[in-house]
Amino acid sequence: MFFDRRDALKAFGLAPLFLAGRAIAAPDKTAADAEAERVKVIAMVEPAVAAVCFYGGQVCGSGVVISDDGYCLTNYHVVQPMESNGSVMQCGLADGKLYDTILVGQDKIGDVALVKLLPKKEGDKFPFVKLGDSSKLEPGMWSLAMGNPFGLALDFTPTVTFGLVSGVNRYQPPEGKGTLEYTDCIQFDTSINPGNSGGPLFNMQGELVGINGRGSFEKRGRVNSGVGYAISINQIKNFLGHMKAGIDTDHATLGAAISTAGEESGESISKMVFTQLLDESDAARRGIKPQDQLLYFGGRSVTSTNDFKNVLGIYPKEWRLPLRYKVGGQGAAKETLVRLMANMDKEVEKEGGAPGGGGPQPGPGKPGPQPGPGGQPPGAAKAAKSPAAKMYEAKKGFANFYFNKQETARLLESLKKAHGDGTAFAGNWKADGDIKLADGRTGELKLEWVDDKDGATEVKLTRGNISPDTVKPLGTDITPADRFLPQGSGGLLVALFQYKLFFSKLNQGGGFKSNDSTNPGFTHGGVEPVYPVGDDMKLKQGDDLAKSRIDCEVIRTVVDNYTTKWFFHPKDATLVGWETSFNKEEDPCEVYTSDHKDVNGVKLPHKLVVRWGDKVYATLTIKSYTLGKK
Amino acid sequence: MRTIRYLLPLLLLASPAVAADPFVKVSQQVNEKVVKIFGAGGFRGATNYSTGVLVSADGHFVTIASQTLDTSELIVHLFDGRRMKAVVLATEPELDIALCYIRTEGKKKDEPNGLDLAFFDINESAKRKPAEPGDWVLAHSNLFEVAMRNEPVSVMQGSIISFSKLHGKRGIFDFPYRGDVYVVDAISNGPGAGGGPLTTRKGELLGLIGREIKNSQTETWINYAIPTFAEVEIKDDKDVVTKVSIPKFVELAKEGKYKPPTKVINKGGLGGYTGLKFVPNVLDRTPPYVDEIIPDSPAAKAGIQVNDLVSFIDGEPIYSIKSYQDAMSRTRSGDTVRMEVRRGDNLQSVDLKLGDWPKGLLKPTVTVPPEKK
Repeated sequence: MFFDRRDALKAFGLAPLFLAGRAIAAPDKTAADAEAERVKVIAMVEPAVAAVCFYGGQVCGSGVVISDDGYCLTNYHVVQPMESNGSVMQCGLADGKLYDTILVGQDKIGDVALVKLLPKKEGDKFPFVKLGDSSKLEPGMWSLAMGNPFGLALDFTPTVTFGLVSGVNRYQPPEGKGTLEYTDCIQFDTSINPGNSGGPLFNMQGELVGINGRGSFEKRGRVNSGVGYAISINQIKNFLGHMKAGIDTDHATLGAAISTAGEESGESISKMVFTQLLDESDAARRGIKPQDQLLYFGGRSVTSTNDFKNVLGIYPKEWRLPLRYKVGGQGAAKETLVRLMANMDKEVEKEGGAPGGGGPQPGPGKPGPQPGPGGQPPGAAKAAKSPAAKMYEAKKGFANFYFNKQETARLLESLKKAHGDGTAFAGNWKADGDIKLADGRTGELKLEWVDDKDGATEVKLTRGNISPDTVKPLGTDITPADRFLPQGSGGLLVALFQYKLFFSKLNQGGGFKSNDSTNPGFTHGGVEPVYPVGDDMKLKQGDDLAKSRIDCEVIRTVVDNYTTKWFFHPKDATLVGWETSFNKEEDPCEVYTSDHKDVNGVKLPHKLVVRWGDKVYATLTIKSYTLGKK
Repeated sequence: MRTIRYLLPLLLLASPAVAADPFVKVSQQVNEKVVKIFGAGGFRGATNYSTGVLVSADGHFVTIASQTLDTSELIVHLFDGRRMKAVVLATEPELDIALCYIRTEGKKKDEPNGLDLAFFDINESAKRKPAEPGDWVLAHSNLFEVAMRNEPVSVMQGSIISFSKLHGKRGIFDFPYRGDVYVVDAISNGPGAGGGPLTTRKGELLGLIGREIKNSQTETWINYAIPTFAEVEIKDDKDVVTKVSIPKFVELAKEGKYKPPTKVINKGGLGGYTGLKFVPNVLDRTPPYVDEIIPDSPAAKAGIQVNDLVSFIDGEPIYSIKSYQDAMSRTRSGDTVRMEVRRGDNLQSVDLKLGDWPKGLLKPTVTVPPEKK
């Protein structure tokens, strides 16, 4: 027999006294206020916390709704078992209801998935939480973790735990097959347990600062060990545009191996130096050599291997970011923009990743489908009948191609609003104006797009009295050198060819076909940062460069072997620019557009600045366009 | 000046910002007084990293007397990312404490190293009123080796739930420290946390986070810290009792004057029979190199070879023939012990089923090297 102290006191008739005594010793006002505030915040965010379930309600993990139309963040490792159910699942909210849910996008390496809850009635809005700024977190701040540990709440009312942020910018290496790598993550002592995966970490304002997904366990059993990790919301923001577009996103490498120098020679503060660079990396093309010292990447200083993995790990592949370095570790720092290379690409896979032992990423690989309990995941039959099942389309490179098509259609609608519909003008085009080269030379400019007898368009650029450059990008007799004409532009004529093709077709159908039949020719490419060059033709540095950054929506078109990315302003879908590339060994030709003016009911750019690698080629000022109809 | 100092804390208390995130600043201040230690280990659950607390501006730090320190290549990372070498000046197993010193490159062991670091005043800490159950505490440590270089150590928050003695066991060994400890409700004692500071919520040092120990009845790990005012009584073989406190240990060890009291030799016996014979025990710390193996003995059956160096017994580091004998004295015939022996450059794990001492075999006497004069 045992009883606690209160029972003992009761036995002596002291219970009322004891309880009253406790009540009188009220906490001080600050503590009481903090508690009241906390309770308020929890009540505010609770309706948006989801239990991610197999179809039918068997709880798999947690999630959090981030928009009124039902977009919800969770862990990739939570939704991965639903793959064999066509990625159809259900999410339980605190209202006690289960909502049919479909996978939208995923980030396998970062262990994040975006799913969409379907409303019970069309047009119904979901409760959602605000995204915070995880870079403002500091060790010692309070945090709230919410979710459904152990599948405790059958009515999906989330469990809340309260604790400290123990560390920020933590690096936790991949768990198995190169996925689930937690870079730049948040460490906390707030209790998380199995079932909390995918659930939100909130700051005390109730803003979402991370997605809880991992802990350090090591001989402690897979329950709360006092050391939990959340993927920072700032990292997730970088991938959100891609995930909304249904992309199976990839992280990136710099294509360069970096290691700590001076460790053995006794220098107590370490330096990070390049040890090896892939020829096809931007870093190598910008002239960075082994022994050059890496100072900053993506605006953050790099002084350790963990720093490097942290700053690199938060970005999707192909993003352009500023890199600051010192040649040979000496002299003045230089800054350049580099595009990140794919992590999981086939080529990289074959070559075994980046060179050198100090390479930034683990061996790539796709996680095989894990058999659910009993081999077949629960609810498979019912899931197939869900309306969510109609919102799924499998395609290589995509988590759910259905959403890519939706996003492409939406962006094209906005684009038509911003620029008009150019599909009427499928005939020959002409443009007249001036050209100013970066070296100061100027001249009259004539551009012509002429459809040849064989159906392939020829593009011609005439500059003053100099003999014109002509290129037929899809012609059979094009030489490799032609593709980069005019000289120094990196392929402006091919880029201009793409421009006309894009604006006169503007759809996902014919005309955009790659040589690789599995690669769709017209897709939404998520969101990428773009740093437009002004017509002063000066390359910006430091803060100016950072300020010029626009996170644009991207349409990616593939024609033959040419890949073009079209960058649209996130506000109004104005064309900010585009870049066309022919192969990985060369920089793309970048064109930045401005001065959009009306021509025959469509809005076309009248100022084009052309950049190739780290050089500006020219500014093209168009005075008039002539658009022919077919 | 006095008035200002008096007023300032009041103003701070009234500020709502402080109430919201009271630990950010404290955590930054404590972090500057903590070192991340990297040393020996890395197998069989023995971490090769731990945490230390700076107790002088020029780089003396205390930590637990763990196997991590058992290396000539002890490295510490300071809060600002500096990576430096360190040496162990003294250890006291009864307090489970070690005092180490950071060396700067090119300077001799006892030369000033030019460091000027923030540190905890261990004397002041020991004199402070002990914390009580219910008090909020913060634990700072590099548990799970999460932090490297200039990355701050982890901070955890909890309460003291009890102040009491532990009767834990570690492997086959008794937990070395027998005094009172602070037991906390934060999961503070993860791998590598040992030696980190347990502080008040204002960042005042209360104790050192202890080594990992597990309650063998409940299979739970214990979260506790050894208070800075800890004092133990050590009885030597002449029944003379010496009192050693942490501040006293630190004070003497800093001067190179700390001599661990000669402990009572376990006269209880030799423990189980292995069949190992070692090189002559002539030094204070003669390494237990195997000199001879009795044929057909447990050691012979387990495949131990001449010239192997016994390094661990059941996960406990063995430094010397004496510590080997200590370890073995707690075993019995019929027990199975796991020994890690160093053979060439590798560690080999062998399980020995201990036997009875054969009749007629001359048992070695427990040897104690002569006191150094």
